[in-house]
Amino acid sequence: MKLRLGILLAALLMFSMQALANTQAPNASTVSPTVKISVTVQKAIQLTLSTGSMCTVSGGSGTDYQITFGTVDALGISTPTCGTVYAPTTPGVSPAVYYTDYKLTPAFSGQTTTAGGTVTAYVSSNFTNPTVLAVVQSNTAPASISSLTAMSTAPATPTSVGTTVVSGTAITRYVGVQVSVQNSAAPFTGGDSAVVTYTLTAP
Amino acid sequence: MSDRSVSENPGSASVRQHNGGGSGLQPRVGGTTAFRRLSLLIVAMLLATPLAGGTLTLETAAGGIAIGGAHPSFTGTLGNVNGLGLGTPSAGVSLITAGVTGGVLYTTPYVLYISGVGSNRTVTAYVSANFAHPAVLILYSCPINTTCTSFSNFSVLSTSSTAPTTIIPSPGVGNNSSSTATLGLFVANTNGGGAFTGSDHVTITFVTHRVSNGATDDTVTLALNPETVQTAVQLLMAASTGLSITAGSGTDYAMNFGNVNGLGIAPPTGLTVTSVSGGVVYATPYLLEPTFSSFTSTTCTLKTYVSTNFANSSVLAMEAASAIGGPFTAISLSSATQTVLTTGSTTSGTNFTSYLGLFVSNVNGAGAFNGADSAILTYTLTVP
Repeated sequence: MKLRLGILLAALLMFSMQALANTQAPNASTVSPTVKISVTVQKAIQLTLSTGSMCTVSGGSGTDYQITFGTVDALGISTPTCGTVYAPTTPGVSPAVYYTDYKLTPAFSGQTTTAGGTVTAYVSSNFTNPTVLAVVQSNTAPASISSLTAMSTAPATPTSVGTTVVSGTAITRYVGVQVSVQNSAAPFTGGDSAVVTYTLTAP
Repeated sequence: MSDRSVSENPGSASVRQHNGGGSGLQPRVGGTTAFRRLSLLIVAMLLATPLAGGTLTLETAAGGIAIGGAHPSFTGTLGNVNGLGLGTPSAGVSLITAGVTGGVLYTTPYVLYISGVGSNRTVTAYVSANFAHPAVLILYSCPINTTCTSFSNFSVLSTSSTAPTTIIPSPGVGNNSSSTATLGLFVANTNGGGAFTGSDHVTITFVTHRVSNGATDDTVTLALNPETVQTAVQLLMAASTGLSITAGSGTDYAMNFGNVNGLGIAPPTGLTVTSVSGGVVYATPYLLEPTFSSFTSTTCTLKTYVSTNFANSSVLAMEAASAIGGPFTAISLSSATQTVLTTGSTTSGTNFTSYLGLFVSNVNGAGAFNGADSAILTYTLTVP
């Protein structure tokens, strides 16, 4: 019994040595070891914001990106730091809008269909002075101040920013800040910010 | 060792006397002449006996090579050897690589049996007829009563008869003693002009010495013939600064690129992502470690090909590059036309850094694939 067990162990040892024998050989001039390459492919999705022709889209702090409009006023008098401004329709009554273009680049891989994806956005953290400041946007180049409409503040009903977007193809969109007229005992002046959350959904 | 006492005093005419028993050695009254003659005969026999010089016999040791021949000419062989110590050594031969520079040391124990002596003997040895290729083959010795599994306990066996190597040191060993020493055969891993393959032989001369006066007693030889030097090649893989490389199952090695995607998002540790047309390439550096011995060429060629491709070859492909950022080229799928990684510049013992790329397509739709897959690369080291 011990002899049989010994023979079995010896055979197993020889087999295991042969399995590893590809790395070396005496009395030879060629040797061919092998390596197994393993991988697990996952589907992936990505939405990138980048600068258009106006304001710079840069990396954010606490957010992925940021755009700074600089000094603004409700009469559209202040020269835009970047982008452009629509003066109010009725100065002193209706708001002014400072806006910029930017690019959205969707990308997705390993999805089961090539149909277009969708992009939505909403104001996930509004200005602290929402009666004065609001985020507006347009999916096309705005022809007038009215082309820039308020962006949704509800995650359940976000604003559509793009439909049938194609992986790897950038689209140009417009976003801005509407500055309303305020005349009161304690008018707001100073810095403020809002956060917009975009969602790309692959088909 | 065993030691059986044997009377040895050839310079003296005295003989131990036995009391009683009617021995012929016992003088009898009136037999003085006969007693003297008998005593002279005994003395003469003692002077002529081989017990005075003793005999050294080389014998096969447990776990050692077979020692053949007969006194005073013995024979043996360590068989096929190579400078990398690859393959299974011949029966009775062990291998030491640790601490050995420029080659390996094949070792074998052997027995020195001393008989017919009345006092202790020491033994020395020297190479009386050296190898024809003494730069490739060098004999080493490990004396008796030494642990001969470490290279540090071996010394080069002298090639000088006037300054031989001690095999059995003082105080020596006595009659009928079996002592085990170990021979070492250093085989250099030389390539280029000094390389040698083929058979060679060597003769060692052993000499016994009386401890009492240093006189030489017996001289025997051991011829190791043939010692056959063979070529040897080895190609190992090792991790560089990228992915780890582990022992494979069914292959020699394994590399796991982990979770990847066609956009190169969140690459696993150790991988660098480069965007290319139609997807991305996850790349890692790795080391190829070629070693070879006894070739006239000092450089080698390293090639590779995909011997088993991914099941989803429209999404995944293996690529090679000479830099981490590419450019990447697809690794051949044919053993006949393998992708050449390096040729004519990599020497034995020099690690070659190469870069392995995994192309992942960003395709969507019907051609998309998510899940596990694997491929096998076969590397080939060739020394011309």
